[in-house]
Amino acid sequence: MSAPAMLSPEVRARLRTLRLAPRLARGDRGFGLHASHSRGAGLEFAQYRAYEPGDELRQVDWKLHARSDRWFVREAERDSPLVAWIVLDASASMAQADEARPDWSRLDAARVLAACIAEVALRQGDHAGLLAAGGDALRLVPAAAGSRQRERLQHELVRIEAAGGMPDQARLGPVWERVGPDALVVVLGDFLDPALPELATRLAAARREVLAIQLLTVAERDFPFDDGRRFIDPETGQALPGDARALRAGFLARFGQAQRELHARFDGAGIRHAVHVLGEPLLRPLQALFGAGQGSAGE
Amino acid sequence: MTPVLLLPLGLAALAALALPLLLHLARRQQQRPTVFAALRWLQARPRPRRQLRFDEPWLLAVRLLLVALVALLLARPALQGVVDARPRLLAVPGIAPAALAQARARQDVEARWLAPGFPPLDVAPPSGPHPLASLLREFDAQLPAGVPLTVLVPARFAGADGGRLRLAREVDWRVVEGEALPATAQVQAPVLAVRHDDAHRDAARYLRAAAIAWRDEDDGTMPDVAASTRLPAPGVTLAWLHAGQLPPELLQRVEQGAQALLAADAAWPDGVEPAAAWRDDAGQPLLSAARLGQGRLLRFERALAPAEMPQLLAPEFPHVLRELLQPPPAPTVVGAVDYAPEAGAVAVAAEPFDLRPWLALAIALLALLERWLATSRRREEGA
Repeated sequence: MSAPAMLSPEVRARLRTLRLAPRLARGDRGFGLHASHSRGAGLEFAQYRAYEPGDELRQVDWKLHARSDRWFVREAERDSPLVAWIVLDASASMAQADEARPDWSRLDAARVLAACIAEVALRQGDHAGLLAAGGDALRLVPAAAGSRQRERLQHELVRIEAAGGMPDQARLGPVWERVGPDALVVVLGDFLDPALPELATRLAAARREVLAIQLLTVAERDFPFDDGRRFIDPETGQALPGDARALRAGFLARFGQAQRELHARFDGAGIRHAVHVLGEPLLRPLQALFGAGQGSAGE
Repeated sequence: MTPVLLLPLGLAALAALALPLLLHLARRQQQRPTVFAALRWLQARPRPRRQLRFDEPWLLAVRLLLVALVALLLARPALQGVVDARPRLLAVPGIAPAALAQARARQDVEARWLAPGFPPLDVAPPSGPHPLASLLREFDAQLPAGVPLTVLVPARFAGADGGRLRLAREVDWRVVEGEALPATAQVQAPVLAVRHDDAHRDAARYLRAAAIAWRDEDDGTMPDVAASTRLPAPGVTLAWLHAGQLPPELLQRVEQGAQALLAADAAWPDGVEPAAAWRDDAGQPLLSAARLGQGRLLRFERALAPAEMPQLLAPEFPHVLRELLQPPPAPTVVGAVDYAPEAGAVAVAAEPFDLRPWLALAIALLALLERWLATSRRREEGA
């Protein structure tokens, strides 16, 4: 999958309607697109405030001082660049595909979604980075901006292969080192293994803005089997032989319950989330999370 | 009408019913491995359920039916007592046109000619002399018991044989007016030509004497006797009294329908199967005959000398030789009234109506249905 093939021009055009808009971002890292809530030197006038010792003299509004005989400091909003981190689950369960379309796995969908997010971030001048965790490996593309970064990210995305289980928390140390506070973290995964929801909630609790896109297969949503099957967990290798018809009702009930619990947990942690089932339009979760009316408008 | 099985042992093939059942069961047990990451929600309450269930019940039903029908086919099903009870009418060829028209007009009977193949009465009567008595016995034997039979015969007809007509039923034997029988042609005495070599000069005398004795009246003609190998004009019976192989011209003439008398030291041509045609009182063969093409070869088995064959001197020798060359026809013309059949023959049991062709047709259709079901299902899965 080459970089141009990963995102078609049509998809790129539709991505223009999307914006990465953090709720928590602060304007202390230079100029950028995002309205921050820290006041300071900038272009857009925000408010006047009383002079305090230590303020720069050039920030004092002398005209106002002439009219009111008081010192006011002119404050402006500062635009700051955002750091968007894409955390990709690359455990073996991501290789699962549906029988109707065996060549389109969860990981394939996650690659395209990650490329889309990176495209949106880089186009609006923000930094984007990638963390792919699966098996023993933790693949990393440091956050940066620019078109070279786009190619680096796509190059890395193509090389990711789903294998092994989710690394334990100790191996996820680089996540905490790299993902600074106030970064935007988009977690792409199936969230079936409890390690990934755990990571997401911990990141959210540590003042990172976390968004979760859950990738499910049609088999998990509908359980469309009606014959004898031997279900194999790709990560643990456990097998469960059974008649699918007899298993369906119980599975759908329990899985639905687990999903509701997961979503409640996300909501409780302030994680915005969306679900993508393989075969549905890919951009729908992105529009739900980053489309107009989302992001800063939610404040 | 009773359905019967002529070979009930064939039903043992019903054991093959287990085959499709096993096939469909085996497919159930074969579980496709499926990668499924959300296994923990499946495993929450594993229910090991062993239930006897069959895949694709319609296909299974068609296959079971197919096997059962094949077993039934092996058991040779038949229907007993299927009787075509319409009255039959047989017309002997040669009845007068008036009677024939009357018979053709009858609607309540199935009318046929008493001729080989029993053609329907609507077609022209088959020509030629037929063994009518034998044909009537055949028709009676094939007719189920109790079916009335009417036979229209002219007052005199040819085709009878030596036995009385004893049939399995009372026959309505109607003697109607008939066309005149063709007069039997007077049988001409055979004309004998003798070709001999020197060794058979004496033997030729006896044949010449016999040929002279055959003449109907003493017209002074003498048999053609010559010591040569030149063949006489066609149309005569040739006595070839030469030793050794027969000339090809002679064989060709015999194959076209002529008869030839051979001396005892002549060699049979290849490929003929001679049989004794005349024996002496001790049972020793005097003359053997063999068919060759359309004609016949007759060879004396002994030298034509009184010492070897005293029958040459017997007064009946010309007569015997003529009958060997011209077997008299058996008398076949009878008066119909005197030849009326009598009942009392044992009725042959009616042959049961064989259902196998119909069953085979049903099996073929069912096999097509089975293939259609099986392949369309595969298409569905592939789509």
